[in-house]
Amino acid sequence: MKSLRFMLSLVLLSLSTLAFGQSDTQKSFDKLKTLAGSWEGNVTTVPQDATIEGKLTQVSLRATSMGNALMHEMTMGGRPDDPITMLYLDGDRLLLTHYCDAGNRPRMAGKMSPDGKTVEFSFLDVAGSTQYGHMYHAVFTVIDANHHAEDWTFMMPGDKPMHAHMDLQRTK
Amino acid sequence: MDREWNDSQPIYRQLRDRVVAMILDGVLKEGDPLPSVRNVAAEYRVNPLTVLKGYQQLVDEQLVESKRGRGMFINVGARNLLLQGERQKFLAEEWPRVYATIQRLGLGAEELLDAATSQSSSDAAQSKTTESNLPEEES
Repeated sequence: MKSLRFMLSLVLLSLSTLAFGQSDTQKSFDKLKTLAGSWEGNVTTVPQDATIEGKLTQVSLRATSMGNALMHEMTMGGRPDDPITMLYLDGDRLLLTHYCDAGNRPRMAGKMSPDGKTVEFSFLDVAGSTQYGHMYHAVFTVIDANHHAEDWTFMMPGDKPMHAHMDLQRTK
Repeated sequence: MDREWNDSQPIYRQLRDRVVAMILDGVLKEGDPLPSVRNVAAEYRVNPLTVLKGYQQLVDEQLVESKRGRGMFINVGARNLLLQGERQKFLAEEWPRVYATIQRLGLGAEELLDAATSQSSSDAAQSKTTESNLPEEES
C-alpha cells in the first residue's frame, strides 16, 4: 500500500511538472492572445534611422482555429505585400511562422521574459528561397491593454539586418 | 513610376529596380532626394516596411545615402556605379544570347550598324514629334 502511494505521488509530481512546463508556454501564448484586435501607429527603422510618424502602420491580430492559432497581419486595405504571421503552440514550444513577402516562411521559437511583458522570438529555420532576405527575429512587448510594441528584424541579402520598431495603439 | 507590380520578385526588389532605372535614365540625378517613404507607401499602396526595405537595398549598394532627419539622397557617382554594374551584367548575361542569335542569323557588322543608325534616326524623329505636341510655355 505504501509503495502504491509512493508511486502515485511520483506520478502526480511528474504530471504537475509537465503541467508547469506547458503552462509557461501556454501563458506566453495567452499573453499574446490578449493583443487580439486592430492596432495602428508609427514605425522607426535602423540602420536608416527613419521614423514614419503617424498612423501609417496598421496591424491586426485575431485568435482563430478555436483559439489554437493567432493570426497577425500588417494590413492596410489588402495591399499585395501585407505579410501574415501565424503564432501557435507546438507541444511545449510557442512557435511563429512568418509568411514573408520575400517569398519564404521563417519559423521562430518564442520565450517570455521573467516580468511577463515581453515575448521574444528567435530564428529556428526557414522554408523557401532566401535570395531576397528573410525575417529573422521578433519581439512583442505588451505595455498595457491599449498599447503594445513590436520589433521585427529582417535579414537583407548579404545578411545585413534591418530593424523595425513599431509603437502601436489599439483602435478596436 | 509604374503602379503595377509583378509576381516574379518581391515588391521591395521591384521598387529598387524602378529607382535604379530612374537613375540610369537621368530622371533621378545625383544629389536628388528620394520620395519619402510615407508618400511612396501611400501613393503605391504598399507596406511602408516594403518601401524601407527597397531603400535599404539601395543604401547597401551605396547608390543612396540616408541623411539623418532629412531623408534619402542619390549618392554622387551612383549613375557611374550602376552603369559599370549594368554593363558587366549585360556582357555576362545578355550579350552571349544576343551574339548567338547574330551568329545563327548570319548578320554582318555592316547590317547591324545600319539597323542601329536607322533606329537612332527613328528615335530622334519620334522625340521631335513629341516635343512639337507639347503645349508652348506661357511667357
